[in-house]
Amino acid sequence: MNLIDNVLFVGLPYAAIATFLVGAIYRYRATGFKVSSLSSQFLEGGGIYIFAVLFHWGILVVFLGHLIAFLFPTATLAWHSNAARLIADEVIIFTFGLAVLIGLVALFIRRLSSPRIRVVTTGMDIVIELLLLAQIVLGLWIALGYRWGYYWFASDMSPYLWSILKLNPQIEAVSAMPAVIKAHIVGAFIIIGMIPFTRLVHFLVAPFHYIWRPYQRVIWYWDRKRIRDPLMPWTETRPRNN
Amino acid sequence: MRDPSQQYNERTRIASTLSPSLRRGIVAALLAAGGLIGSQSAFAQESGQQIFQKACAGCHSIGAGRLVGPDLAGVSDKRSEDWLIKFIRSSEALVKAGDKDAKALFEEFKMHMPDQSLSDDQIRRVLAHIKEKGTGATASKPEPAAAQAAAAAARPDPNQVQLGQDLFEGKVRMARGGPSCNACHDVRNDKVTSGGILAAELSLVFSRMGKQGLQSVIASAPFPAMQVAYNGKDLTEKEIAALVAFLQHVEKEHAQQLPRATGLRMFSAGVGGVIVLLGIFSLAGRRRKNRSVNQDIYDRQIRSE
Repeated sequence: MNLIDNVLFVGLPYAAIATFLVGAIYRYRATGFKVSSLSSQFLEGGGIYIFAVLFHWGILVVFLGHLIAFLFPTATLAWHSNAARLIADEVIIFTFGLAVLIGLVALFIRRLSSPRIRVVTTGMDIVIELLLLAQIVLGLWIALGYRWGYYWFASDMSPYLWSILKLNPQIEAVSAMPAVIKAHIVGAFIIIGMIPFTRLVHFLVAPFHYIWRPYQRVIWYWDRKRIRDPLMPWTETRPRNN
Repeated sequence: MRDPSQQYNERTRIASTLSPSLRRGIVAALLAAGGLIGSQSAFAQESGQQIFQKACAGCHSIGAGRLVGPDLAGVSDKRSEDWLIKFIRSSEALVKAGDKDAKALFEEFKMHMPDQSLSDDQIRRVLAHIKEKGTGATASKPEPAAAQAAAAAARPDPNQVQLGQDLFEGKVRMARGGPSCNACHDVRNDKVTSGGILAAELSLVFSRMGKQGLQSVIASAPFPAMQVAYNGKDLTEKEIAALVAFLQHVEKEHAQQLPRATGLRMFSAGVGGVIVLLGIFSLAGRRRKNRSVNQDIYDRQIRSE
């Protein structure tokens, strides 16, 4: 038991962090232009919108929730000592967690069922989506079955994660946790280690400047419609497209 | 236009050229991590006495009578070392395996002793300490039953109970910054906000552990997760007394309280929240292009074929 816990909560985290750092730097240096996700919505406009938005906003909020409790455990404890704030935050994070689940399941079905998307799907895409799916199911399970996670995360998980970062791992608390929580921790580290090899790298290069960037205007200086109408033979300029 | 399958092939090719050097990196990382394993456990270098104080003294005495768990004086004469090591590692596993002595203890004390992540060597050190201290100690003198019953029957001070409830719920924060109890524990009481269900339900803990036992358990937090949560944030005497009074009060009122379905309510709130989210996102995206920007080109190509 002791050995398994050591492997899962000491060995795995360091292996995952090292793999993440080495892999991400290597991938960026070797194939920098490929540090992104292969877009799957090449000719699609409608169906993807709501599920992609549910999934991405969901995972952002859930991730931020974990990050805040990890970075500021004392403030998290103080803030959540008020029951109303605690319950509100728990419900908000649970809501966004459900949004992740719904979005991910729908996007996964879309990926598997559409032959066009199958063409641009790698094995790793499937693996990472299944892992994320397992992770979100475990997370929701913990939120319901081992509640006030936002509270005890700050007092039990945060010290553990900090002890990992400070190179002095203390695993007494995590080894005493129920199996579901252990699985969630292990899943998290496996996902961190796999980031460089999967489409998840795109979160490292999220184009935040797009938020403030002005619209790009695309201007043609000839009459597009006339030239491009396939029913009319082109006369002045050779069409650039089709 | 580039053929998507060509893109795909390119991707997989790059992935395969990545792997050998990365694999070396992963192996190195695993080896480094392996080096850290074995440098484990906070108790590694401590004497039997120190380990006993940290891990055992919350529930056990040596020759001073029963607390939460049995008095350990002379325990090595009653049980074999092999059995003791197994029991200390995981009493629950031993009970489940059908060990007679372990079962009898479980029935007597009505709770499992929490698993201790100690090495064989550390357990032996603790046992040696118990043996050393236990010989010469007079046979355990449990408090007279009458005195215990009288202590339990005494009504706790209402002010104490109120303070205990506030501490339990977090309305009053622990003086040294520890988390409030309801992060992990719940009690069945209509006046108290639903607590956590990570750890044990505490409605009936007062009679299970007794006043003294509860005091020492709260003070020393012998459970691993609690130990970490209150590391350097020990409760004060006043807080402990108030919490014990509150738990005694909770147990008295227990029978008249209604059970609650907090989990179900939280799930419903989450589902409601998702519906709100769907509304917000639909509103935000109502002016989005429903068709792809190159739908025209696509249609035209189909037509001209």
